[in-house]
Amino acid sequence: MEAPKNMKIESGKIPELENLNSETDQRVLPVKSGTSKRKRPPRRPKGPGLRVESILENPHPHKWRWIRWSFLLSTNFLFFASFYFDIQILEGTLSGSRLLGFHLADPFASFQVMLASRVFNINLIIGLLTILVIYLLLGGRFFCSWVCPYHFLAELGESIHKRLIRKKIIQRNHTFDQRFKYGFYLFFLVLSGFSGYTVFEIINPVSALSRAIVYGPGLVLIWVFAILAFEVFYSRRAWCRYFCPVGVSYNLIGRIAPFKIRWNVNKCSNCKKCQAACMVPWVLKDTVNQGKSEYVISGDCTRCGLCIDACQDAALQYHVRYLDKLI
Amino acid sequence: MTDSSKTAKKTEGIQRRFFFKKTSSALIFGGALAYGLGSSFLLEGREKRLRPPGALEEDLFLASCIKCGQCLQVCPPQVILLAGLADGNGIGTPFIVPRDGGCILCKGLPCVLACPTGALDHHISEGSEAEMGITVLSHPETCLARSGTNDIIHQMQTLLEKESSGTTSPSRKVRRQWNRVMIRLVDRLEPEESRNLAARFKVREAGLGALLEHLKGLDHDQKKSLLDFARTTKQAGTGCRICLDECPIRELQPIRFEKEDHPSNRGYLPVVNQTCVGCGVCEERCPTEDASIEVIPRKKWKPRKT
Repeated sequence: MEAPKNMKIESGKIPELENLNSETDQRVLPVKSGTSKRKRPPRRPKGPGLRVESILENPHPHKWRWIRWSFLLSTNFLFFASFYFDIQILEGTLSGSRLLGFHLADPFASFQVMLASRVFNINLIIGLLTILVIYLLLGGRFFCSWVCPYHFLAELGESIHKRLIRKKIIQRNHTFDQRFKYGFYLFFLVLSGFSGYTVFEIINPVSALSRAIVYGPGLVLIWVFAILAFEVFYSRRAWCRYFCPVGVSYNLIGRIAPFKIRWNVNKCSNCKKCQAACMVPWVLKDTVNQGKSEYVISGDCTRCGLCIDACQDAALQYHVRYLDKLI
Repeated sequence: MTDSSKTAKKTEGIQRRFFFKKTSSALIFGGALAYGLGSSFLLEGREKRLRPPGALEEDLFLASCIKCGQCLQVCPPQVILLAGLADGNGIGTPFIVPRDGGCILCKGLPCVLACPTGALDHHISEGSEAEMGITVLSHPETCLARSGTNDIIHQMQTLLEKESSGTTSPSRKVRRQWNRVMIRLVDRLEPEESRNLAARFKVREAGLGALLEHLKGLDHDQKKSLLDFARTTKQAGTGCRICLDECPIRELQPIRFEKEDHPSNRGYLPVVNQTCVGCGVCEERCPTEDASIEVIPRKKWKPRKT
């Protein structure tokens, strides 16, 4: 009796999942041994996870989340400690820093500086290339969920938002077009080129928060928390999903980064728990819904590992693409 | 209700929702556009601030600064501050408030070396090459060097006036200032003068420690008598020279003292030479209530130094 109850809650959480592509679902569903082959398609489950196997739980349901959070907090602690305790491992803030003396620079901030000042400083180029290489290895928007302090706040905001919706304090979640961030990206690059000033840095909540962590809080935090309030009460994770141009640079790197999440079709029981867990609704669409690729190819995948935690079949794993070809 | 009318209503709702989605997105995008355009022009041309040594021209500096704050991290006296939202022009850019703490032009200029974007120009390697601003004697009427007053005696006077005007016991700040002046006074005494001081206040030893220990607990009248004593000492004859004494590049003589023609002036007028880089230490250390000597940020000498 307990199982269907569980299911109901699960299906209630994710109304988007009801319009799944039925064709691909049938392809993915393993054919049960007792039924005759291909005569009749297997019964289509009404909601996600209406199968007996779905009751199973991942033995370590929050493993990657804890690893990720501790990585994020310790990275930001290193930034904090560089100034507060004078521990010189990771100095600076997220827009520009030094890892053991080597320059690192945020790509979007660097592009803005280069366009605004029309000066190509060698240190800035070194810092930019180092960051590009690092995130090419780590996987693009890895930065967002593993390093960005705003992401951590937004994750907490997201859970508050979900709770408010469940208690019907907020009617529904509002969405925007996710391509907005590319427009923002180009717009602010062009603007910094024309105005001769790094305009986006005035409103950049990521670097503002990072500076607040290292050098003490300021009035800019009002703006950061205003964005957070917008996310909590109006549109879930709006900044990261639809607007953040800082993430766009990492998004573009992430498309070609070999470190990806791999989806094993044979193991997958098609319960769609991964989609419920995923922080960005369209990331798993190409892979788990439509089966276009074996890997999660969306640039917006932050390699956060929430889908891996949610998967009961161990069908989703971190994997380095092309590694087998190299060896 | 028929089936078709149901679907019609449903699609209408979807269309309306789609419309709202588009409008709200457009509104947000338009708002951001207006904000960006507005702020980029409105924030220009505000009051200029003292930047760390090696800073490029203000416009180019604002364009190249990546707002990482690494210059502030390596600053040994920790005088570099980061601009906040209320500071207007350039959020997150470094600046210096000379009255709160001037730049001491450290050896090797660590802030310049730390800058990842070259907003603090790597071409300068020494503090004396910096062009942060020009120092001017903004309030010659209060300048102690000009009136020929020694800074220790001047400070003792003002502190005593403060003390006698208030009915309650002196505040903690005044007491701390008094103690600091006391240390400077006793430190500069000649051996014979310190013996006289010890005799005057009946201290057994004429050592620095013993004298200071005793002078800490003086009452108002005793302080007045101490001021009288200070006027008889040798150093009371010399005028204030703090701006030059504290200057980080004083061997280059950025300030010279000139005798004024006017007979009413006993002292010397401090005149700023072109070797001054505008670090702001003189403004920080100036003993008058409002600094008599001040830095005009970002101004440069004409013709430019090589």
